[in-house]
Amino acid sequence: MKAAQTANACGKIKAVLHVHWLVTAAMLMVLQACSGGSGSDPTENPAGPFGSSKVTYTGPDPQTADIQSFRISVWENLRSAERCGGCHNAGGQSPGFARSDDINLAYNAANSVVNLEIPSASRMVTKVAEGHNCWQGNDAGAVAACANIVEGYVANWANAALGGAAKVIQLTPPPIKNAGASKNLPAAAPAQFTAIHNLLATHCASCHTSDAAVPQTPYFAGDDIEESWQLSKSKLSLDEYLCATATPLSDAQSRFVVRLRDQFHNCWSGGCESDALEMHNAVEGLACSISATQPDSGLVISKAMRLPDGIPANSGGRHEASVIALYEFQTGSGTTAFDTSGVAPEINLTLSGQTEWVGGWGIRITDGKAQGSTSDSKKLHDLITATGEYSIEAWVAPANVTQGDAEDPARIISYSAGTSDRNFTLGQNMYNYEFLNRSNTTDANGIPALATNDDDEDLQATLQHVVVTYNPVDGRRVYVNGVYTEDIDPVDGGIIADWNDTYALVLGNEVSSDRLWQGVIRLAAIHNRALTAAQIQQNFATGVGEKFFLLFNVDELTDVRESYVVFEVSQFDSYSYLFSEPFYVGLDANATAASIPLQGMRIGINGREAIVGQSFANLNTAISTSASSTSQPLSSLGTVIGLEKGPEADEFFLSFERLGNNSNAPQTTLPAPVQVRLDGSLSSAIGVRTFDEISATMAAITGISIANNPSLLSTYIDIKQALPSVENIETFLSSHQMAVTQLAIGYCDELIEADTGFFGSVDFAATLPENERNRVIDPLIDAVLGTNVTTQPSFNTTATEMDALYDRLCPFNECTADQTSPASKGVCAAILGSAAMLVQ
Amino acid sequence: MTKTMHVTATPHWLCDNSHVAGRRARFNSAAAVTLLMCLAICSSATVEAGFREQAKRIHDRIAGVPPSQPVLDAMEDELSNNQPLAAADIAIANPSFYNVTLKNLVTPWTNGDFDAFAPLNDYTATIIGMVRDDADFREILTANTVYVGNLNHTSMAGVPPYSNTNNEHYKAMEINGADLSDAAVLRAEFQSSIIGTPVAATAGVMTTRAAAKAFFIDGTNRAMFRFTLLNHLCNDMEQVKDTTRPSDRIRQDISRSPGGDSRLFLNNCVGCHSGMDPMAQAFAYYDFVNTDDAGTNGFMQYISAVVDPKYHINSANFKQGFVTPDDSWSNYWRSGPNAELLGWDPLLAGGGSGAKSMGQELAHSEAFAQCQVKKVFRAVCLRDASEDDRPDFESMVVNFKSSNYNLKRVFADSALYCKGD
Repeated sequence: MKAAQTANACGKIKAVLHVHWLVTAAMLMVLQACSGGSGSDPTENPAGPFGSSKVTYTGPDPQTADIQSFRISVWENLRSAERCGGCHNAGGQSPGFARSDDINLAYNAANSVVNLEIPSASRMVTKVAEGHNCWQGNDAGAVAACANIVEGYVANWANAALGGAAKVIQLTPPPIKNAGASKNLPAAAPAQFTAIHNLLATHCASCHTSDAAVPQTPYFAGDDIEESWQLSKSKLSLDEYLCATATPLSDAQSRFVVRLRDQFHNCWSGGCESDALEMHNAVEGLACSISATQPDSGLVISKAMRLPDGIPANSGGRHEASVIALYEFQTGSGTTAFDTSGVAPEINLTLSGQTEWVGGWGIRITDGKAQGSTSDSKKLHDLITATGEYSIEAWVAPANVTQGDAEDPARIISYSAGTSDRNFTLGQNMYNYEFLNRSNTTDANGIPALATNDDDEDLQATLQHVVVTYNPVDGRRVYVNGVYTEDIDPVDGGIIADWNDTYALVLGNEVSSDRLWQGVIRLAAIHNRALTAAQIQQNFATGVGEKFFLLFNVDELTDVRESYVVFEVSQFDSYSYLFSEPFYVGLDANATAASIPLQGMRIGINGREAIVGQSFANLNTAISTSASSTSQPLSSLGTVIGLEKGPEADEFFLSFERLGNNSNAPQTTLPAPVQVRLDGSLSSAIGVRTFDEISATMAAITGISIANNPSLLSTYIDIKQALPSVENIETFLSSHQMAVTQLAIGYCDELIEADTGFFGSVDFAATLPENERNRVIDPLIDAVLGTNVTTQPSFNTTATEMDALYDRLCPFNECTADQTSPASKGVCAAILGSAAMLVQ
Repeated sequence: MTKTMHVTATPHWLCDNSHVAGRRARFNSAAAVTLLMCLAICSSATVEAGFREQAKRIHDRIAGVPPSQPVLDAMEDELSNNQPLAAADIAIANPSFYNVTLKNLVTPWTNGDFDAFAPLNDYTATIIGMVRDDADFREILTANTVYVGNLNHTSMAGVPPYSNTNNEHYKAMEINGADLSDAAVLRAEFQSSIIGTPVAATAGVMTTRAAAKAFFIDGTNRAMFRFTLLNHLCNDMEQVKDTTRPSDRIRQDISRSPGGDSRLFLNNCVGCHSGMDPMAQAFAYYDFVNTDDAGTNGFMQYISAVVDPKYHINSANFKQGFVTPDDSWSNYWRSGPNAELLGWDPLLAGGGSGAKSMGQELAHSEAFAQCQVKKVFRAVCLRDASEDDRPDFESMVVNFKSSNYNLKRVFADSALYCKGD
């Protein structure tokens, strides 16, 4: 697809628009596209012709360079008997574009079935897309892959043949339709979905459940009706059901009906029409239970667009001259991810375990892998060892930044035999990408690995473009989002002659299924050249996924004929769309805009403004165009809008606070503040003092300044964090009490040693008779309890306790001279460290 | 409290004090008595309070320390003479109100771990000083003010001068026991003079060194906004999450499809970032530069008109995201549910350039005033305010505003409300 668009880009210039936005947006991409776009240099491609039944060409030389291009790009790839040469040969079925007797005659025949301006429109491509002789198989996914491959061949030819002219995407007026009423699917499964679910669970569960023998996504046929509902939403189309009269089966657009009615997909009764009618009736029951949502009549809105109404916007431009395996995951269903590199043999990957297709092209690996056969994977060995260099390229969105280990990463892309034998692996170790490559400077497991720097955190759990390259001179390199990470290979490049050709290519895991990587892979490619920094930047800039230009008609609002607000839109992932870089364009150069005010643009979906993601709501500009400049960028921003019904059915429109003379300005009055939340609950009216409060309180009681007492200060600093840090009395621990006591001992020690007069004339170096203990006890009690504070313990009770303590510390009633000081410190600490001090 | 009953042995470290070596047994007994007394006293806490008991509690809660006898007498007199604010003012005059209560209230705001044990710093000192000097408390997010120690004071022996690159000045003040209630010890200076920040770039405590070290270091500067919202408007991001705001100012570093699933962005990330990113843009010119590997030393950097590179990191996460061009900010929460929740000042524009005007936007909100009362109420009443407290709580907010946002009034009102029956 991208190759085709490159061809278009570099081909005939339709030059219908000479618009400024092309300079600012598309032109940049185009220049990149034409600087070496998809397959732009076929002579570099060593893949060459493949096919087991292809004879050596001995006919006349190509008469022109264009014929030579045709030969390299198309003819050599299709003339084998397995592909087109079996029929479209000399004397065979017309046209004979795959004849092997005369390249010039084949060229003449090919010209009747190709469109080099729009390769995707080539009959050679569309015929294959219709299912004609696809060598990959007959199911829809295989057919699409074949068509994609042929399109790539034609695009390569076109690119070479038509040269590097700048691409102009021709914007043509889309069908004009009003934003209509739309039946929006509720968040939870409605009762009327039950009939549909019953059909699915009864007739589709043998494949479309996670525990089926050969599980096929989406798993909408499981027992869980809510899960089924979420997965069925994108398969339902309700707006065609008017409900006043019965809707004919032929009008149904729901995927569930179409698959039965038109594609005869696993009909259960033997009669697909009756099965389709049964499903149609069930869908109609649901549709008629849901009222349509009308756009608010007060809104100033554009005409409506759906994604299929858009103009393909992929600019092409990927550098794929040396690609030897390519996975774009466009199939969207089934268990095979096709290699669309066009280089045979295709290494088609089989999806197993918990893997699912992602909207907008991609696969999500939850607990599974996508693996090719060892025989097909041998292509990698053969083509890479031939050049001695290669690159692994991927667009990935890691599910997390916790998976993987150093030198044993979670496997993103691996060509290996198990946990200890590989040719290469691109993996994840938390925030790092790791690149293991087997060479004569590493072991058979590719160790030592090249890992990105821990501090850089190059790997993020978001969509990233990562490329690792290897060649013998530069060794291994890692590029993330087009930028070289500057991580140096710990070993010399060496050579890769010892690669093993019996390994298998695997994505999302090790072949032994024990090194799971979780995330989304939206593109994977193997090149047998080390891509240059410019080529990598080019592929990064091209992006990933299918894009469209949606042209929202605003004639009625601007009073300018053929005036549009255009968005580039793509399906961002399974759950949203990306709307980016809107611009205004007038398709009638004679109808210009003169300072038309545009304010507050919002994106509407299915009859209402999207609630989340309105990144253009603050837009405030004026549109002015002229005959020579018919467009104007409106914003460089993009936004994601939640997917509702699916890319086929969701209908978009734009609304404006003001466009031209039409306005719908919102109210801006500040509302009155609501009452403050007071969510406390009843709890104790008392608490404990906290660390500084405890020390300050002890200081206040004793009169000891901690700042002037280094020993005490040191004690406090040591135990500070063992003291209570919160007042909540219910969190008070025994360890807190121990710290309080130790601090109390410190203060009391200083109080008694310093002889501050607190105790009057008490001599702590002398004996302390029993009847004089009150000279110590009373001042302490007064200081700690305060006087006449009834919430404190009683003086007498406290004094009795303290006296009893003296009894124990001085067992002979009178404290001897050497007992007085330590015993008094103990008594002091007992009350200073008590709840009388602590509780507040 | 009951857990203390289970302690029967004194840990070895309890007796390491050199002055008491050899008397371990005696102090085991002392500790045991301490516990017994603790239990006895706890059981007496239900005694009905008179003026004297109320005065003690008011003092305890405001100053963090018990009153002296004369102070208790004076407070009792004021209460009995129906002069409750005068009683509270006596407690507020105690230096411990500044050196202990305020310091411990503010210190957790100054670091990302809410560590109450963190050393004194310029953020804490500035708020203490502004409260002491009866400043309009809203200016803590706007003022060109920083409080520093007066090195000429006798209590400042050995204290190094203020430094942009370390916190030694304040650490030494704390160890010296510098009295922060004394205007001769702690005095106001201009940030523009002391730190060197341009006047227009000063924004109260947000542009102190301590705040910068905690919230401008590394990252994307969103932390400064989040923690300011949390500490001064009492709402974390979870409470203000609003997915309906325009998403145009969400920077490029925010993935729109984390792990490949855009539902996470649409249902969660956008809720905070749509409002936070246009506000945090006010800090676009700030950074904190470490000057040592340990991360202890470093300085706040402000380069006028130069967006710090941290605002453009991980730009490939979403190329179509917002690219910060300057320090202009917008308050998207003036619409939607947060307009009611936070109560913005209708006299302000809701947008501007730089941290000073953004700080004013926050400080002039209803939530700011309510938050200060909430925090003080919790500190003084030792519990969160509940619905039962609403009438008095709202009166405290009114009094706070009418006192020119004097935080002392909130302490007084809270202590009087929780003085006991």
